Amino acid sequence: MSITAISIQVIALVILAPLVQGIVKNTKGRLQSRRGPGYFQPYFDFVKFLAKDSVVSPTVSWIFHFAPYIYFATAIGAAALVPTIFTGAGVQFDNLFILVYLFALGRFFLAIASLDAGSSFGGMGGSREMFISVLVEPALMITIFTVAFSAHSTVLSAMASTAASGYISLSAVLAAIAFLIITVAETGRIPVDNPDTHLELTMVHEAMVLEYSGRSVGLIFWASTIKQLVFILLLIKLFIPWDFPGFDSDVMAAVSMVIKVMIIAILLACIETSTNKMRLFRVPGLMVSAGCLSLLALVAQ
Amino acid sequence: MLIDQLYFALLGLFGLGILSAFVTPNSPKATNYISHGLAALGCLVTVFCASAALQAGGQTIAVALGAPLGIIKVRIDYLAAYFLLAFGVVGTAVSVYAIGYSREYYGHRLAVMAGLFNAFLLSMVLVLTVSQVVAFVIVWELMTVVSFLLVNHEYEKTANRTAAYVYILMTNIGTAFITIAFLVLATAVGSLDFELLKGSALTENMRNIAFICALIGFGTKAGVMPMHIWLPEAHPAAPSHVSAMMSGIMIKTAIYGMARFFLEFLGVGPMWWGELILGLGIVSCVLGVLYALMEHDIKRLLAYHSVENIGIILLGIGAGMVFMSNGCPTLAGLAWAAGLYHVFNHAVFKSLLFMGAGAVMSATHTKDIEHLGGLIKKMPYTAVCFLIGAAAISALPPLNGFVSEWLTFQALFFLPQAIAGLTGKLGAVALIALLGLTGALAAACFVKAFGITFLAMPRSKQAEQAKEVSGSMLLGMASLALVCVAAGVWPQWMIQLLRNVVSGHAGVSVDNLFQTSQWYAVGFQAQQGTTGLITMPIVVIIIAVGLLIAFLLARAAGTPNVENSETWTCGQIPTARMEYTATGFAEPIRRAFGTVLRPVVHVSADTSKNPYHGVRMSFQAHVSYFINEYLYQPLTKGILTIANSFKRIQAGSLQLYIGYIMAVTAVVLIIGTRW
Repeated sequence: MSITAISIQVIALVILAPLVQGIVKNTKGRLQSRRGPGYFQPYFDFVKFLAKDSVVSPTVSWIFHFAPYIYFATAIGAAALVPTIFTGAGVQFDNLFILVYLFALGRFFLAIASLDAGSSFGGMGGSREMFISVLVEPALMITIFTVAFSAHSTVLSAMASTAASGYISLSAVLAAIAFLIITVAETGRIPVDNPDTHLELTMVHEAMVLEYSGRSVGLIFWASTIKQLVFILLLIKLFIPWDFPGFDSDVMAAVSMVIKVMIIAILLACIETSTNKMRLFRVPGLMVSAGCLSLLALVAQ
Repeated sequence: MLIDQLYFALLGLFGLGILSAFVTPNSPKATNYISHGLAALGCLVTVFCASAALQAGGQTIAVALGAPLGIIKVRIDYLAAYFLLAFGVVGTAVSVYAIGYSREYYGHRLAVMAGLFNAFLLSMVLVLTVSQVVAFVIVWELMTVVSFLLVNHEYEKTANRTAAYVYILMTNIGTAFITIAFLVLATAVGSLDFELLKGSALTENMRNIAFICALIGFGTKAGVMPMHIWLPEAHPAAPSHVSAMMSGIMIKTAIYGMARFFLEFLGVGPMWWGELILGLGIVSCVLGVLYALMEHDIKRLLAYHSVENIGIILLGIGAGMVFMSNGCPTLAGLAWAAGLYHVFNHAVFKSLLFMGAGAVMSATHTKDIEHLGGLIKKMPYTAVCFLIGAAAISALPPLNGFVSEWLTFQALFFLPQAIAGLTGKLGAVALIALLGLTGALAAACFVKAFGITFLAMPRSKQAEQAKEVSGSMLLGMASLALVCVAAGVWPQWMIQLLRNVVSGHAGVSVDNLFQTSQWYAVGFQAQQGTTGLITMPIVVIIIAVGLLIAFLLARAAGTPNVENSETWTCGQIPTARMEYTATGFAEPIRRAFGTVLRPVVHVSADTSKNPYHGVRMSFQAHVSYFINEYLYQPLTKGILTIANSFKRIQAGSLQLYIGYIMAVTAVVLIIGTRW
């Protein structure tokens, strides 16, 4: 994969990521019998955040100011690594472990920054975010490895092409369901977290970044949407890679990808509307069930 | 020739360091500078000696010591030189750090401490280089005794005496097992020379006995669960620069011993050897990091992380042995390289973290992170160094911990190639998932350790009055922080080196290992057509470009105002008591892993003044260690019971004792004449 191709992919993903968020929010609104924000509202939000003044606590250090940048940088890195339409072509460095640990890097910095302002609110958010990451990590590994084992490789593009050459099987369906659960948890959606509020019942991601304002919050917010899109793309490329018959050319592959992303975005909105927030100490059960589903997928292979 | 000159020079420097500590009894300052200066110099020479040996491909030096002692053989082959390199790099930094840190000990038996520190360094060099069984066991014990004395340096505190006692007891049990393992080999070969022990013809049973004994013996020193109990006691008790050396290098000498046995002496073994090591490794990983998360004594926290990281190293070694016994030589090389790279990396970042903890302690005089906070403003450079160490140990890219964990993940991923069928797949995926869990827990733990110690507002007077530590301490920490970055950003050099280290052993092949022409990657061929790449420079570029874009984007709308305003705490004035605590931070994990950790919580409310409002409450939570409860406590109890029953024959009468001696002599004579 050439530098140009990577650049195009990164730019496309970064620019389109808030739109996916817009689709989710709009669909959610419709499902709740209201009009919902427009599809492009996330872009307007971002522009608004950039122009706003920031308020920071006098207790904070450089960590607090630096964390949003590194969080955003890791999201960009993930956008460069995730397989999209440019798969194959002798790429070797889009390794799965880099992707997983880039997210860990961003999370690490946001979590320590949450302790910087000195309120128990941020600390609680950081603590819970790390707790959920502890639960998600093993389940994520097991799920992705169902594909990696059949590809004999941890290179994402190789995994994607192996997945694309396979047929729909029980194993693939189980793994896809498991990864959907993980996507919900990693992107901080109901039933694990609630992206729309930071109040008592949720207090995870949104509580962790509560002290931020102005462009810092803009960066964090945009990075979160990129992360969400990356997970949706992983779900598509590794677990439901099948195209409609006749979608052979690159252009048609891109079209089918856009359609799939939209379907999953709508699906996420449906999940979020149909359930309610789970107690924090029931999240382990959810993650264990995702892990067990992928173990079953592995056995069924 | 150069290598042996350097070798004798470094021995001489450490020897001088021991002596010089006692020639200036009136000036602790002179003692400190001269003795630790010589130690630093000696370690620096070790770096050169090791590099020269790595270039030359090894060197054997025979030293004749005269009639009763015979010839001592010193062999610096690739393996020894690799460990010496880690020792030299870490030792130099720690010795420089010791110059600043030892100021606390002026008038506190400084000379003894400095002399013993040099002796400790000397003994470790000897352990890594002597190539003869008797000499090895002697210097091994020397290392134990010297480090015991250092752990016991502040013997005024009862806790330290107990720690030192547990330490020497456990490691001596370990030494007994090591001796058995060596004797099994040496009697079969009929020689005490390390070089002749290789590939000795042993029966299957004797080989297994040697394996088990070496594993228990070296495992005890390394702190493998369940033999780890001395480690979280001894590391906090020792002075910080000594704990940095103990955790960084001393426990690695046990890994060196394992590598000698499992890679060299015993040859390719049955598969259960590797599987047993994998099992021990993963238990050490997960339990080690869980216990670390529950600690708020910063040095105990770091000590438990040593248990975790030894577990990660064992995962590499265990996978390597599984590959060796199943005829996957390239993968065996990959797995061993992963384990040994983690040896170097853990040596660097753990010593860095212990030095950081020592800096915090010398500035605030407390080890309890619940009393700290806000230190990043008082000690900015220490904070940066500690942060780099914390990120490295949490395996975050682009630092060195990530590279070795990546290699370990890759090695585990290819386990199904050695173990066919579902067992291999499920085993591999379980190990990978648990290693992923370990990584996430470690990150959570260091978010807690760094965040509570360095960020927000100070939680106590000591933390408020803390000052940045001296230049030599900062230099020591900064140099290791740089090594962390360098070994992560550009691991190619070290990985090429490891290729030589693992080469030349039965069951390991390096022909298809780490040979890639691209500048940005090192690769390996797992099997026909399957390759893997380690591409750290690319990772660095990705992060750098990402940061650049983030900065440009944030600056796109000009520079808006930044206003300072106090953290919103519902209208109250924010104080340090409103901050999140370390105990609170770990609470969700304590509850979710309650079955393993079995937390005990004490809440008491003081209602004497007012039963309804403004009640003073105290909250305490600690975990119970089931290994102590179910293994060591019954064991001690049993030993005491047996000892008590022997009391009866100890009547205190001299005649009776002479009678015992007579009886024993008679029995020995009878047996002697029979055979």
